[in-house]
Amino acid sequence: MTNKRLHVDALVVGGGIAGMQTSLDLGDQGYQVALVEKTASIGGNMVQLSKVFPTLDCASCITTPKMSSVHHHDNIKLLTSSEVQKVTPHGDGFIAEVLLKPTYVNNDTCTGCQKCEEACPVDILDEYDYGFNARRAAYIPFPTAIPYTAVIDMDHCIFCGQCIKACPVPDCIDFNMQPEVIEIETSAIVISTGFKVTPYDAKEEYGAGKFRNVIDGLMMERLLAPTGPYGHVLRPSDGKLPDSIAYVQCAGSRDLTLGVPYCSRVCCMYAIKQAMLLAGALPMADITIYYMDIRTFGKQYEQFYQNAKAMGIEFVKAKVARITEVENQDLNVRVELIDENSQVVERHHDLVVLSVGMLPNYDPQAVFSIDIAEDKFVETPYYHNSPAATTRPGIFAAGTAAGPMDIVDTIVTAGSAAADVAAYIQSHNGHKAETAVETQTTVAERSVDHD
Amino acid sequence: MTEPNEENKEKDVKNNSEEPITVHVDELKDAVEKEIADAGGEDIKIGVYVCQCGGNISDVVRTDLVAKELEKFPNVVVSRDFIFMCSDSGQELIKKDIQEKGINRVVVGSCSPFLHETTFRKAVSSGGLNPYLYTHVGIREQDSWVHADHPKEATELAVHLMEAGVAKARLLEPLKPTEIKAKKHALVIGGGIAGLQAALSIAKADLKVTIVEKSHFLGGRVAQWDTVFPTDEDARAVLNRVIEEVLANPNITIHTGTELIAAKGYIGEFNIRLRQQPRGVSEDFDGLDEAIKVCPVEVPDEFNFGLSKRKAIYRPYDGCVPSGAVIDWEHCTKCGECLKVGKKGSINLDETPHEFDITVGAVVVATGFDPYEPFKGEFGYGEIPEVITLPQLERILSKDGPTKGKLEVNGHPVHNIAMIHCVGSRQKEGVHKPQPDGKVNDYCSRVCCTATLSAAKQIHEHFPDTNIFDLYQDIRTYGRGHEDYYINASKNGVTFLRYFAEEIPEVTKSPEGEKNPVMVKVKDHLTWGYEVEVPVDLVVLAVGMMPTPIQDLIGMLKVSQGNDRFLLEVHPKLRPVETAIAGIVLAGTAQGPMTIREASYAGQAAASKVIAMLITGQVELEPFVAKIDPERCEGSGECVKYCPQEEAIRLETFTEDGRTFQRAVVSPANCNGCGVCVSVCPNRAINIQGWTLDQFDAMVEALAMEVSVLEDA
Amino acid sequence: MKTDKEKVKSKILILATLSGGYLGADSAGQGNKEYAPNVYIFSVMTAAIFPPEFYIRALEKSVDAIIVMYSGSDCPYKGAAEHTAKMISQAYEMMKERGMDQRRLRLSAICTVCVDPFLEEVAQANELLDEIGPIERPVPAVTEAESVTA
Repeated sequence: MTNKRLHVDALVVGGGIAGMQTSLDLGDQGYQVALVEKTASIGGNMVQLSKVFPTLDCASCITTPKMSSVHHHDNIKLLTSSEVQKVTPHGDGFIAEVLLKPTYVNNDTCTGCQKCEEACPVDILDEYDYGFNARRAAYIPFPTAIPYTAVIDMDHCIFCGQCIKACPVPDCIDFNMQPEVIEIETSAIVISTGFKVTPYDAKEEYGAGKFRNVIDGLMMERLLAPTGPYGHVLRPSDGKLPDSIAYVQCAGSRDLTLGVPYCSRVCCMYAIKQAMLLAGALPMADITIYYMDIRTFGKQYEQFYQNAKAMGIEFVKAKVARITEVENQDLNVRVELIDENSQVVERHHDLVVLSVGMLPNYDPQAVFSIDIAEDKFVETPYYHNSPAATTRPGIFAAGTAAGPMDIVDTIVTAGSAAADVAAYIQSHNGHKAETAVETQTTVAERSVDHD
Repeated sequence: MTEPNEENKEKDVKNNSEEPITVHVDELKDAVEKEIADAGGEDIKIGVYVCQCGGNISDVVRTDLVAKELEKFPNVVVSRDFIFMCSDSGQELIKKDIQEKGINRVVVGSCSPFLHETTFRKAVSSGGLNPYLYTHVGIREQDSWVHADHPKEATELAVHLMEAGVAKARLLEPLKPTEIKAKKHALVIGGGIAGLQAALSIAKADLKVTIVEKSHFLGGRVAQWDTVFPTDEDARAVLNRVIEEVLANPNITIHTGTELIAAKGYIGEFNIRLRQQPRGVSEDFDGLDEAIKVCPVEVPDEFNFGLSKRKAIYRPYDGCVPSGAVIDWEHCTKCGECLKVGKKGSINLDETPHEFDITVGAVVVATGFDPYEPFKGEFGYGEIPEVITLPQLERILSKDGPTKGKLEVNGHPVHNIAMIHCVGSRQKEGVHKPQPDGKVNDYCSRVCCTATLSAAKQIHEHFPDTNIFDLYQDIRTYGRGHEDYYINASKNGVTFLRYFAEEIPEVTKSPEGEKNPVMVKVKDHLTWGYEVEVPVDLVVLAVGMMPTPIQDLIGMLKVSQGNDRFLLEVHPKLRPVETAIAGIVLAGTAQGPMTIREASYAGQAAASKVIAMLITGQVELEPFVAKIDPERCEGSGECVKYCPQEEAIRLETFTEDGRTFQRAVVSPANCNGCGVCVSVCPNRAINIQGWTLDQFDAMVEALAMEVSVLEDA
Repeated sequence: MKTDKEKVKSKILILATLSGGYLGADSAGQGNKEYAPNVYIFSVMTAAIFPPEFYIRALEKSVDAIIVMYSGSDCPYKGAAEHTAKMISQAYEMMKERGMDQRRLRLSAICTVCVDPFLEEVAQANELLDEIGPIERPVPAVTEAESVTA
């Protein structure tokens, strides 16, 4: 019963920084874009970060305005809590079936007043803060969410009705909201489905998941973020300010035993960045980074690394063999010192951060009929000449869907994907960007509006 | 505290010891009222917003107190602080206040204007207000981030800066951007992979593109490589795919042997003067082999990085584009020998450069890189013939290189090779010899690690008996497929030795009679820092990248360079391919070291921006240009005399009420807002719109008041 | 710890161009480089707009030292840097006539990543103000005959 159809030039799948930038670049060129995001807000992984290297800008300061521009762009139609279920060829383009998942809150009328959130009696661990914090079952995903509207988490809702009572907008919360399917007719598709990190408990010998004071880099991002759970960097087991923090590099990258032989590109820089931020937040703490190779290869990155060394952060070329818990839930780290003929020593730390790597967040093979490479990321067979093209004409990839990369590189690949999409549209249906105004009227055919 | 309103405004802001902040603004009152009257007597209502920046500001500056304090000032109708003003909800606040409280001037105190001035202008605009009725105040980079140790003073400083912002806001006038027609035509400077990719993408969007390439051939550095990682493809195959598409695209015009000699204009309309060197040889010349034979001039062949010689009539390789030969005018002696061979009239040694103009709407700078050239004696380079650079090795491995692909140096075969990483990269002051500009190359060149290991792989495949010693600091095989080269190298028996930047490996000539001509000495940190001596037949220096020297171009285009000499983008994340000059974007290694794939990405990303700029054929320019106050202008002509721009300002004769007089008139599209005219006008009759002297006077006066916060603040 | 009511705090005004000094100050901020909190930074598109009287007026009204931070030879506006320098030397003449210490006004080229030179300028201005103190206000008026037209 899919009878609603949206006509666009490009469908962008995934609303992280790559998808947002691709949408903005295409929108600015006059193309009509539908941006489909699985979760309730755009922003992706980047909104959860504290500050970003090498400028140490706060991540929100870069992300939130882009989110806002996407939201307000005349040529971009945003569909959150939505997933592409099926893609079929249609002329030179595609028809994508998109499932609009119920959020049980009417996005058009919700004012983001948070009254439902206050009224909801259910407390559950907040995935946005990696479980360091709690949220309600009726909640706004995070403070800068877009759209800034509530959602009801039906897995945890107890149907007490408090939120409905508290909501000042009539019929805004609707427990009977049903999933809907719409069709999006598009000339081209961009896959920007992003990454997830390697599970922090993947390497059993590091004890993450078992020992509370072994955390991963993204958790540390939340601890360091201005909007983070405690406002301070406290170690999870006892809320103590840590004195001695260790970073374990390549914890989940360059590791054949995990089936992840590749380098995740960002972990060296984020560990160094976090170490610098920690040195500021905890001036008395010792910070050690155990690494195999320091890969600070980007613009201004090597200088960033040298600054960190000058600040007194200790860099030790070593392989970490095992982490065990000792008294006070402190940690004993067994390391093989590569620079000292691989002798093995044990070092004591009270907080260990695993610099976990990147895995693809989504397997597009079934829905989009494009190939993935051996590393499980989207295959881009025209490696040098058309780096954003996938194995299927008309479908392109941007950002970490096509392999680990940092934010700077992601933004450049998004621009590249946008250029490829524009070229594809021009060569296949002669659709001219100048006719943006006319195409907008076709967009008006849509009958679903989930802004 | 009383709500400020029109009647009791003055009373409220007087010194009140119960309030945490004390302000004396009485003396400002008169001036302010005069300003308001000057601004047309409009009922000015100012909204003030102080961003907490999620703690980045509010951890130091008491944004709540600042907002509360600003509330007291004349015309301020609403004053708030908020966690992230740049977020959607922050922007919504502004819009709501415009619509519901009728504010008609907005002041936001937040991060640097470079990050979010545009964001807030847009918000103000979508709230229904002219976007220029907005003042941005930097209280993060200029306050909270630099005064963490003085929270009290930082808070006072924020109040002062915000009040200055309010003072400016009172005098703001609605402005309109200058709309100009944009040429649907882009110029790409540089015919390497990044420039070609950029040109192609722009052309595919149905815009015209002109590529200018300084050398006589397309392809840049990629043409010189043999096999490219991580696909192990022939570099020429990669290049030719792009070149073929470029040649086939009717929107693209190519000028080789061509350089910019002058540039003026602005986004939408850059007037560029080009100078093209003649080729001297017509394309259908059939006697090239013969001509090369008879040419008496021999110079080092730059295509082979000086490993071989070429003549003054030459072409770099078979299959180059354009395919015809050229005369090297710098070295040709015009002896006329070549004129005697082949088809008559094909060579003309009297051709002269030809200059012509083009007008384009945007410019892509894709001028690329030069491999780092080691100093004479650096690792024995230039003194020991068996010490070469990685680009030279690429030429040696190439089938059309100086040894036709044989691994031979200085005439003898090679069995043991030492490859040294980070030559000309990751340098340290005091350890490495600086470049002529006094700076060392403290950056990582990004591609050399994988390029070195890729070359090692080629050597192992074609010359399996070769032993390779790899001297490195960190192996940075970061990219997709790059790590495989590292894994393979270990499997193939490459011996890795780790050195520290402070302990540079020593390369010396072996004593006479030794089997291997070169000795490499390194303190290897993989084995307790033991000093290891490695006798080898060849040393390969994995040299880094330096931007092609383009000082003239930088001067013409007014783009900026970073500390590392590469061209500088506006912001690595917000605007990674744009320069501070509107309409000029960057592509490829002119901006920083990158691989071929990354240069392609960058070229296409640059194209995306150019398409967005030009596709509608119209560009809006910031209205910050000179404006004459006709009431005050007495036609002194000082502005015309001092204006450094061409055709930006002129005197015109007017007749009004039978009186004839002269008055200055500005051409906004030609005025760049340099401001010279403002300070020379004897009547204060010219201002740069949005940056008027009256506004600065008011801002300076705002600093006069005393602000103090109690200790507990 | 009350800041002495007696001791008037000196104020340093920095007029920083958006292509030079302001970015230098931004870089200092990004590097979290602490400096004295008596520095008021105004962004200017170009410092060439200021006639010499502007500086005199600012010193008379509110601030004790002014540093104009432009981008010097990197100025994106042709001729503007030289013109700014000319205006400042005219201001020096006027300061001399008024018996003002000319060191209170400085023109300095600060590039976009010039963190150290930026900090150095601020430190020097504060050293100077420690030595010569703030300007006593109101500043006695200069008679018509003494004043100089730009």
